[in-house]
Formats: sequence, structure tokens, C-alpha cells
Amino acid sequence: MEKTVVFSRHGLTLMPQRAVWSAPRRTLWIADLHLGKAAGFRAHGQPAPHGTTEENLRRLDELIALTSPERFVVLGDFLHARESRSPILLDRLRAWRRAYLSMDCVVVRGNHDRRAGDPPPDCGFVCVDEPAIVSDVESRHYPLTEDAAHSEGGPVLCGHIHPVVRISGPARDRLRLPCFAVIGRQVILPAFGEFTGGSLIDPKAFNEIYLTTETTVHRYQP
Amino acid sequence: MARGDSGLLHATTGAGKTLAVGFGAWRTLRSPAPANATSALWITPMRALASDTHRALTSAFEEIAALDARYAPLTVGLRTGDTSPRERAMQGRHPPHLLITTPESLTLMLAREDAKQTFASLRCVIVDEWHELIGNKRGVQTQLALARLRRWRGDLRIWGMSATLGDVADAKRALLGPRFAERGALVRATTNKPLVVDTLLPEAPERFPWAGHLGLNMAPLVAAEIDGYANTLIFTNTRSQAELWYQHLLRLRPDWAGVLAVHHGSLARPTRDWVERGLKEGSLKAVVCTSSLDLGVDFLPVERVLQIGSPKGVARLLQRAGRSGHAPGRVSRITMVPSHALELVEAAAVKAALAEGKIESRSSPDAPLDVLAQHLVTVALGGGFREAELLEEVRDTVAYENLTEEAWRWCLDFVRKGGPSLTAYSEFSRAAPDDEGVWRVTDKRIAQRHRMNIGAIVADSAVDVQYGPTPPGARLGTVEESFIARMSKGDRFWFAGKLLEFVRLRDSTAYVRKATGGGATPRWQGGRMPLSTTLADAMVATLGRAAGGDFDGPELACARPMLELQRKWSALPTPNTLLLETLKSREGWHLFAYPFAGRHVNLGLASLFAWRAAKGTPGTFSLSVNDYGFELLSATERDWGALMPRLVERPNSVEELALEVVESLNAGELARRRFRDIAHIAGLVVSGYPGERKSSRAMQVSASLFYDVFRKFDPGNGLLGQAEREVLNEELEVRHLFSALQRVSAREIDLHHLRRCSPLAFPLLVQRLREKLSNESLAARLERMLSQLNAAADA
Repeated sequence: MEKTVVFSRHGLTLMPQRAVWSAPRRTLWIADLHLGKAAGFRAHGQPAPHGTTEENLRRLDELIALTSPERFVVLGDFLHARESRSPILLDRLRAWRRAYLSMDCVVVRGNHDRRAGDPPPDCGFVCVDEPAIVSDVESRHYPLTEDAAHSEGGPVLCGHIHPVVRISGPARDRLRLPCFAVIGRQVILPAFGEFTGGSLIDPKAFNEIYLTTETTVHRYQP
Repeated sequence: MARGDSGLLHATTGAGKTLAVGFGAWRTLRSPAPANATSALWITPMRALASDTHRALTSAFEEIAALDARYAPLTVGLRTGDTSPRERAMQGRHPPHLLITTPESLTLMLAREDAKQTFASLRCVIVDEWHELIGNKRGVQTQLALARLRRWRGDLRIWGMSATLGDVADAKRALLGPRFAERGALVRATTNKPLVVDTLLPEAPERFPWAGHLGLNMAPLVAAEIDGYANTLIFTNTRSQAELWYQHLLRLRPDWAGVLAVHHGSLARPTRDWVERGLKEGSLKAVVCTSSLDLGVDFLPVERVLQIGSPKGVARLLQRAGRSGHAPGRVSRITMVPSHALELVEAAAVKAALAEGKIESRSSPDAPLDVLAQHLVTVALGGGFREAELLEEVRDTVAYENLTEEAWRWCLDFVRKGGPSLTAYSEFSRAAPDDEGVWRVTDKRIAQRHRMNIGAIVADSAVDVQYGPTPPGARLGTVEESFIARMSKGDRFWFAGKLLEFVRLRDSTAYVRKATGGGATPRWQGGRMPLSTTLADAMVATLGRAAGGDFDGPELACARPMLELQRKWSALPTPNTLLLETLKSREGWHLFAYPFAGRHVNLGLASLFAWRAAKGTPGTFSLSVNDYGFELLSATERDWGALMPRLVERPNSVEELALEVVESLNAGELARRRFRDIAHIAGLVVSGYPGERKSSRAMQVSASLFYDVFRKFDPGNGLLGQAEREVLNEELEVRHLFSALQRVSAREIDLHHLRRCSPLAFPLLVQRLREKLSNESLAARLERMLSQLNAAADA
């Protein structure tokens, strides 16, 4: 679908696949991947289906094929929990990484990463604390405060919130959709990971809201 | 019982069942003199009832012991969720001869390593109020527990007590199990208790039924009734309604402060105890209550019973009527207080059904896999099991007599590794066979978790309401988390009959202080009973009578202005026609239909109609349903008249219909909601454990999210299948749906285009709780919504 226009500031494009793309800098950002969440559940004696990691990586493959980035940034919560670091998952991650040797991969540590720990060095991810300036964009996990977001400065991308908006339409229809929430110079990304859920935000508290449907992005004004 | 038989005792409320069976148990226990072990179990569905029974049996046994000095006195004990650990330890050392307990507490005992030893001397089990358990999963849990006890104690006597039921033979079969039911006795009380059913008529009947206002305009009449009698029970259908009526009556009669009380299941135990005591001692003039007071053994008879709104079923009405004149030989009387004009018709229909002796039947759920999965872990904890033996035992219940080998294997696989595909959940294991083939639980954490989650009722996540935080005060009860979540500091709400101000929420306790002024009333989900099919049929017959001009009887005469208006603007439903109404409003294109099939079946018909309409042209529908009919609201234009022949088309078989309904379910949200309960019972989703480290919060996730990942990554999962089956069989009652569709398609279609909303359509139109059904793609749906919203904003 074509209706994906909308946001183009500092050379950043919001993508329906819940990612941000900078064509001039050839950099791709996603937030809140939560790899190994299902495996963590299983380790705690609760069954959760296999396949979420494969699906996450498949969607990343698609995005990378679409954009051919030189740099790939995860804005925090890359791994879900300590129990997620299973040998199977880490091996799978190494294999995935080998397919993109020329691409830089950066993980800005989030709250889950602090408990889960960095992926082993041989997985090929550079892990940094926030704020990290990547391709001239301040890359964070936790959002800036409202005041800081409205202050002077360059663009900020962040995650952590998993923003979701509920909209109501005619015939009492309602939808819950993941969204990009823009406030000042800061864009909060929707969670990229499968099996992550979202938290409802009040769209009025933000300057702009962009709803995503996997195939389209729509500006929404409440 | 003296002969050593098992059986079911069936009599109306207040006929003396408790003492009859109590003496039977006494005789059974008397000789030979029981060892220092529990020899009889008494299972009751409610904790409140358990303590009542405890009092009644203790004093009865003491009186007999006083008469007959030859026998050592028998001891009676009580074990429910309220029993303290100290008391439980005491019972371990000195087991009472007769132990009164609930299905959940019994299952907990079965989950102990020494369970078999505990019940080694068991001679008889008594199940009280079996009619309350038979139709639900707690009843299934009870069936499984009974099968276990029967296996251990071959000569075990099992007796059930039940109030009026449509099909008593089925009830007996579910209690005794398919193999033994034939040999069981059926004892029926022959005395017919005199019963008076009447209706409190409004002075100025309305022309529009309004489901929202709860009939509070009837309050002055109700107050006058309460005035005329020493004590009155006022039954309502929901907890919110009970709170509202309590406030309203107190506003009318401030002098009743202290003698008017409210009683429902969300109130703290001490408050409920105080009310129950007040009723027994006669110090209360009136109590506004919910089904929480449907049951009870030794209440002093109240003089007057009022039922606010429809009783929704004939059996329920009889049960509640029995609270007045609760003693053999006395007259029971219940007065219905209609909360809107259509309930006048319902009242007339109840009386007609009673006159014809039509009473609802209840039957056991069919092989719910979540309860079975829970039971497997219970038994693995309680001494372990061998597969073949346990399968035989489980099939010795009505719920699982037709359990397929496949379903059984699935359950074993589920507790062993979370699912059938071997690779699926290798990390997950709750129970597994040891070297000798005996299934056991080895992980202590899993054992503890299981014990905390035992039960077949899933409560909405609730928060405690307590005065405080400084100083911490009395606990008042619980409200749903979703209600408190909407509150901010200083907001006021009514609860436990008091106006409270919200202070703050901490660790799932809502701290409050007393307030003045006005406030909101919490809404609790659930508890809303659907109109029984028996009553729905009686209702359409009654309306048909009115359509023919027969308004005989006080209720119909009173409802006449509303019914005349309905006839003028549209038509009245009859047993031979299917009344349909269409309306175009600012919201969209409405279709109203009145099959009078009860809420569940109406919902099934609504989903099916919407699905069939959407097959031609994709769309999104909002569905509203009540006991009488349903509404489909489409956001895009629909020519309902032209669509109708396709919508009412009759499928060839139940199976064919089920397939179509499953398709329609996938476009809706019903299965998702049902999955939440199933996921809890099967132990898939847990609600956090005291004492576990905070980091385990990372391991909590909503059932809804689980539903989504299972749908996407493991669509063959048995629990998803069960959610689907339960929606089909319980929520939509697909068999009834099939016969309803057959009847509907045989009826003559009576289609009216409304210019204004008709009296029958009105309650559907204003209903806020709605179902959704959509087969548009997400992107297309969002695009349409946004463009319609923009068009509306521009206009």
C-alpha cells in the first residue's frame, strides 16, 4: 500500500514494519525486540509456542532486504531475560548476524538488557549505554522527559513504552494499533518484537501520532 | 443410606434436606464406631453455607449424643479457604469424623502426598446443593474428586441433595458416575410446598423499556412493602444493582440506617458474617443481596422475598422463593419487581411457565480439557498415577465418559511438555512419569504454584478495598482492578453500602476513606444470567397472546401501553413470525431481530448473520444482544431486506453449522475472551505469587497476548481448540443455535422499516457492551474509519 508518507524530518522515515529508516545515513532503527521471551516463559514452566524468534528475524530480514542499511540500531530490550540466553537462541543469532557481515549492529541497553546481560561478543553486536549518538541521531531506550523533548537539539529516537493507541470509528468500531508517538524532537517507536504487547497512551499528550498496520502508516489526529 | 445405597435426594428448598441427610450420615458413622479418622465428607458449594452447615450439624449431633449415651459423640470439622493453617494442622492430628468442605479444598487435600491415607476410613460423601455445581466446571472438579474417592473406597456411599431441577435422573448420573448411577436411589419429597408468585406493578407504566435505569422508580413501592413485614430479602441480579438499591432505599428511608444491609460476594467476610448473623437474629429489617444469599440452611425464615428485575429462570425463582417460609408446611411467596416494561411481560411469562410446570434442566459440561489438565497435576502430586488406571477412573465421570484417546493423550502431553509436538516445549514440564511409569511432580516450585491455582473459577483480577493507608483500617472487600484503574485520588465511589474516597493504590490494595456527597458505583463483570430457554419460550408465547389482543392478567394489562406502541410503530413478535426491524441512524445501518432465544443463542445468531452478510461484502459490524433479540450495526450501507433470505438459510447439520460459526468466531473476539479463563485454569497464565522475586514480573503476560501468539505459532494447540469448543457449546450453545435457526427459518419474516426506534429496539440500541465482527483487512478498516471520521469532522 502506498499510504506510508507522512513523517520526514532530519531525513527520517517511519516505516509500517515498526521501524525508522534514514535513507541519507543508510541507518535502520527498531525498538524493544525482546528476543527469547517465549523461551523465558518455557524455562519458568509455562508453555509458550516456538517460532516467535524465527518470525522476528524473518521480519528483520525483510526490512533489511528492503532498505540495505549500513547500520542497524536496536533501541533497547534486545534480549528479554536472563533465561532467554539459551545456546540455541544465541547460535541462531550468530547465524543471522553472519548473513550481514558488512552491516554495523548497535544495541542501546534497555532495562531488560541490564538483567539479561549483553549478547556474547562473538554475536557481533556493539552494546552501549544511552544516550548514544548514531548517524547524528540521539538513540535511547528510555524517552526524554517532556521538557527535554521540547528543548533545542537534534532528533531523538527511543523505545521502552510500546505505545499503542485506541481509535473509535463509526458503528461503534474500535481498534488498538501500535504507533509512533512524536513529542517535540523525539520519536517513540512501537515495539518491534512479536509477543510483546503494548501500553495504551493518550494521543493528546503527544504532538503527532502515526498508526501502523504492518502494511501502512497513517497520521492520526484525535 | 441405612441400606448402604448411594443416591440423590430431591426436594424443594426448606423441606429439611440437610437434617435428613445429616441423620443418615450420623447412622452411617455410628456403627461400627469410627476410628480416629475422617469417615464422612460433606461438600458444599459455598463457604458461607459451609459454616452454616457446621453449626447445624454440630448442634444436631450434640442433641442426639445427649439422648443416646451408648455411642461416643461424633465430631464435626470445617475446612475451607478460610480455615487457618493452625486449624488445618490440628485437623491433621485429630481428624473430625465428619468434615465439611468445598470442592476446591477437597481438591487441595487430594493434592497432598498422603491423600489416600487421609481418606482410608471414608464411608460416605455428601454433596449439598448439587444443582448449583452440576452445570459448571466446579461440578466437574467435584465429579473427578468423587471418582478418585470411589476408586480408593469401593463401598463408598455418595449422597447428593438438590433443589428443584428439570432433569433429576441426569443430575443423579453426574453425581454417582455412569457406572453406578443405575444402582443409586432417587428420593423425591412428595410434599408440594405452597407457593405464591406475584408482581409489584408500577403506578405509571412506561412506553419504553430502558435496561440502564434498574427500576429505581419502583423504590418507593418496594420501601412500602418492606415496611409492612418484619424482615425482607431483596434479591438483585448483579452486585452493582445491589449497591445501587441499597443506597436508594436508604436515601428514601434514612431511619433504616443500621437495620438495612447489603450482601454480595465482593464484600469482606466479616461484613457478610455480620449481615448473616443479623438475619438469623432478626435484628435486620431488610437485606439487599445477590445470588450470594440464594443458598443457606438455617436462616430463620424471612417473611417477605422480593426479586428486583427478572429472575431469568423458573428454577432460580423457585430457589429464591424458598427463602420465605423456609420450613416444612409454610407458604413461600416471592414478588417480582419489574425494572422495565418488558420485564412485566417476563413476569407474566414466569407465571405461565410455572403454571405449566416447566422448569429448566442442567447438565454437566462435556470433557473440559483445562479441568482435566489441572486434575492430572493434582493427582500426580497426591501420590502419583499410572496412565491406564487414571484414564479408567476419569472415564468413570459423566463429564469425561466419552473422553477420546486423543484428548487424553493431549492432556498428558500438555502437563508433561506443554503440548503434543515433541519439540514444542521441551523446557516445560509440570509432571512426568518416573522409572516405574508413575506420574509425579518433582519440581517444588511447580507444586506450590499448582496448589495456589487450584480451582475452576477465574476471578477478574481484584484489588482489596481497605481504609487507610495511615492508620490501616478495616478491609471492606474487593472490586475489579479495571474499576480502580480509572480512579484518581479524591474520586468517590459507593461500596459495601458506604460512600468512599479513593486515596491510593498500593500492592493491589485500594486505600480509601469515608466521604460525603455522591459517587460512582463499581461494576463487576460476570454474574449476569441469561434468560433460560424455558422462560424465553414462555415469553414469546405471552407476546403472541398480546398480539392477538389478549392482555389478560395484571402484568400484561400494565405493559399494554408499551406493547400497543410497539404494535403501532412495528409489530409484536409471535411464535409463528420472526420480527425484523431496520433503521438508518447517524451511527450507521441497523438491523434488529427478535428470535427470543435467550442471550447466548441470540449472540450465536447475531454472529452468524453478521458473518453471512460480510461474506458478500467485507465489513465491520457491532453486535448488541439481549435475551429477546439482537442488533447488527454496520458502518457501511446494507440492504438488510435483500440479504435476509441468505441470512436465515438453514444448514444441513449441526456439524456444518459449527464449521460456519467457527469461521465467524475467528472474525470476532469471543474465543479470545473465553481463552482467558481456560488459560488460567490450565495453569498457562499465572497471576503472580507471593514470595517470588520481583524479576518474575518479566514472566507475566496477558492471556490475550498468549492467545495471539498461540493463534499465530501453534494453531493446533488443544487449549485454543477448547476455547473454540466452549464458545460453541456453552456461550453460543450450537445445538440450540441449530434448532433456533431451524425454527427461525421456518417462521414467516415480518420486516418493518422503522422511522424511529421501537420500544423493543430501544434497549438494544442503547446497550454499551457489544461484540464486534470484522473481515476487513486491518489497513482497509483503518483507512475507512479515518476517512469517515474526517468526513464527519468536516461536516
